[in-house]
Amino acid sequence: MTFTALSSAWLAALLVPLVAFYFLKLKRPRHDVSSLVLWRQVIADQRVNSPFQKFKRNLLLLLQILLLALLVLAAMQPLLRSGAVQAERLPILIDVSASMAALDKAGGVSRLDAAKARVRELIAKLPSDQQLCLIAYSKTARRLTGFTNNQAELRDALAALEVEDVAGDLEEALRTAQALARSAAFDKVLLYSDGNFPAQTNFELSYRIDFQKLEPAGPNFGITACNARRGISGQWDVFVQLGGSARAESTSGTVELLQEGAAIASENVTLVSGATPRLVFKVGGEKPASLEVRFTPRAFDSLAADNRAWLALPAVRPLAVYVPPALASYRHALDAMDGLDVFPRDNSALPASFDIVFANTEADLARPARVLCSVGFVPPDLQKLVTIESGSASVIDWRRDSPLLQHVTMTDVVLMDDPHQAAGVDESALANLGYEVLAHGPRGPLVVARTEGENLRVHLLFHTDRSTLPYRVAFPIFISNLVNASLRQSHLGEVEAAPTGVLPALTLAPSRSYRIAGPVGFSREASSDERGQLAGVPAPKAGEYTISDGSPTAVSVGASILSVKETSLASVEQIEFNDRLKVAASTAPVSTDRPLWWPLAFAGFGVLLVEWWFFNRRSLLTR
Amino acid sequence: MSAPQLTTLLTNRDLDRLARLRINAARRLTNRSRGEHLAAKGGTSTEFCDYRDYAPGDDMRFVDWNIFSRLNRPYVKQFHHEEEMHVAILVDASNSMLFEGKFALARQLATALAVVGLRNQEKVSVYALWSAGAAARLAPCTGRASQAKTLRFIEQIESGGDAPIEQGIESFLRQHSGRGVVVVLSDFLTGGDLKRTFSLLHGSGLEVFALQILGPGEIDPELSGDLRFCDSETAAHLDVSSAADLLAIYQEYRAAHQQMIETLAQQRSGRFLSVSAAEPFERVFFDLLRRKGWVV
Repeated sequence: MTFTALSSAWLAALLVPLVAFYFLKLKRPRHDVSSLVLWRQVIADQRVNSPFQKFKRNLLLLLQILLLALLVLAAMQPLLRSGAVQAERLPILIDVSASMAALDKAGGVSRLDAAKARVRELIAKLPSDQQLCLIAYSKTARRLTGFTNNQAELRDALAALEVEDVAGDLEEALRTAQALARSAAFDKVLLYSDGNFPAQTNFELSYRIDFQKLEPAGPNFGITACNARRGISGQWDVFVQLGGSARAESTSGTVELLQEGAAIASENVTLVSGATPRLVFKVGGEKPASLEVRFTPRAFDSLAADNRAWLALPAVRPLAVYVPPALASYRHALDAMDGLDVFPRDNSALPASFDIVFANTEADLARPARVLCSVGFVPPDLQKLVTIESGSASVIDWRRDSPLLQHVTMTDVVLMDDPHQAAGVDESALANLGYEVLAHGPRGPLVVARTEGENLRVHLLFHTDRSTLPYRVAFPIFISNLVNASLRQSHLGEVEAAPTGVLPALTLAPSRSYRIAGPVGFSREASSDERGQLAGVPAPKAGEYTISDGSPTAVSVGASILSVKETSLASVEQIEFNDRLKVAASTAPVSTDRPLWWPLAFAGFGVLLVEWWFFNRRSLLTR
Repeated sequence: MSAPQLTTLLTNRDLDRLARLRINAARRLTNRSRGEHLAAKGGTSTEFCDYRDYAPGDDMRFVDWNIFSRLNRPYVKQFHHEEEMHVAILVDASNSMLFEGKFALARQLATALAVVGLRNQEKVSVYALWSAGAAARLAPCTGRASQAKTLRFIEQIESGGDAPIEQGIESFLRQHSGRGVVVVLSDFLTGGDLKRTFSLLHGSGLEVFALQILGPGEIDPELSGDLRFCDSETAAHLDVSSAADLLAIYQEYRAAHQQMIETLAQQRSGRFLSVSAAEPFERVFFDLLRRKGWVV
């Protein structure tokens, strides 16, 4: 047993005034009696027959000394050591990812509530020489408190903690803890999680970690993926994939597809453990549709947040493509594709915006487009970095994994333009401008691309007409990739249900303030930029978010978990770190020092009650 | 119009009721003076009492010659002799009697007994046992004519003395002469030798009527905590802790003390009675004392 507030021992000095006051106060109340004859005999008799009389005579003093001793001991905060090494500072990482909302049984407690209960117990037993720091993590980690032993602050921060319907990222939490170590040293971190993270973590652990694994949750089934793809006949094919947890036994349920709140399709599904059935629904593409996919299991489902997904489908329409007449090879390639309106064409006005713009002059760069591809010149923002010289060149290498260059083989392509990278400029200068080099020439980049919000800019720093590329099969494939990219950027080819975390970027009125209202009282103000892009709006909970600028029309966007990992409620038994260090999960509660101050204080209160009763019992009995 | 109050101690109605009572002495301890009590040894009144065998020396005038002529044996006629009985009333006027109305009741009882005695032609004397020296005394008097004087004396008795009861009785005995009844009105809370005192009274030809008057707080005290008891007579003090724990023992000692006085009185053909000062005078005198046969 040790004392954490040994300095409080000075309170024992109160014994001196206590005894002094006792004897000063011991002036007994005077009680006049007619005669002491009988009382003298009584006292003499009692002294003979009661050996504890001397003790009883000073019982009040003894009780007061006992009371003081108990209070002084309590103030010194004695601890019954648990045997575990006591850390002075202890960060506690609490997993608040979506899987932590899973219940253990119908009407039971969530994993987060179980974690909270354990941490609350730690806080209650927190010795005064120890400081805790609460860190919650899901996709990102955030510090709830600094290192403190203020139990009220810790309890309040813990109580305010809620599950975020996003996938968890343990490394993010470990990094936050490591950053914390720079300001306040510690050698151990406590992790409360259900173990729903990868078994291997790419992190150099600089402290010990105590992985407190929570009891597993009950069975769960949910939607793990949801997207729609434009079909050949102009309709949308909606794909819904379901998944379940390892502990789930077979169950059945209904998957409903709702459009504007009304069910338009429904399918019963039987789910078995390990299976990931994929359902397909067909939805007409004539007009925009706001869809909700709802899975209703018939048996207990521990996680409700993954049972819904939302899709916003635009109306199916042909892509508007602008190709200058001079780029005949491009027009030729595009002619072979369906679903395109190529401009300029006879007697047709140009639309206000295009899905794809091919530009051979700087003037065309100003045309609004989802995908813009410049050919044969250097855009103004790159002119200080790259110049196009005349001369023969070839493709040295290209990004085969880029969607734009997928299945594009550029071997043996001869170029008569030779882009030169400016002296002293390396690829990082391009990266600083947001450009990614997709193809390299011998002296400079040949193809660069940059994403600007929902728009894609691709610059071919050579003219294809002065190359052998149009005569290669790679050329129509490249054009097709651009068309597909445009379909993606315009959400006309494939639409994916938005995951939680951050809402997808929306194109709204430029430079306007919007109010975003979401599930569970979520509310946020955000402004669109000058291009009308509203991005970076957090979506911590699964559900529908309404974006409104105060006008009657509001945009509704749904976000759902859509994570196989979270829905599976998979949990690891140990974490393996970079240096092959393995941390096994522990389900036993953290052994903590047992504070003894409250039993002592309680005993003091008991002594006080005994003292009060002892000296008032006669009047109490006769009352 | 009602008659003026004769005394502050008793109501006129109570005084009237006393006229029908008399002190019932068990022993016939009388004086030579003629009175209303029959002498134990017989006398020379005109009221025949009994016969007895003639003894040499007897007055020949009391021989019943008719009997002698029939039985041929001399018998002497005996007659009742009514002698005066001395009633001494001792009122403990020490400080201890000041508690809880003990002294007031003692004065009322003394008044009642004195009035009863005077109205029955007894020789009544009243003593206030105040200090170890000479007791304040109402000289023996008799007859209704002395009633006013007696009442005045008892009214004027003051308490506040410091003498224990046994010393007061000894001072009384130094002043007193004559046989009869002595009524001692006291709380008898003394550490002195009461046995000697009772023996002295008995030896003086006095039948002891010991009436112990205790306050309610002495009969059933309600005490708790640590206290300092102060003796009203000696000013001595006694520290008591957890007084509530001692009450049971106190009761045992009080009962034993009471039993001891009763035994002392009974062994000397006397009487003992303990009453509470909280009891009203009427109940004590007209009920208790009558039922106990002290007055008839």
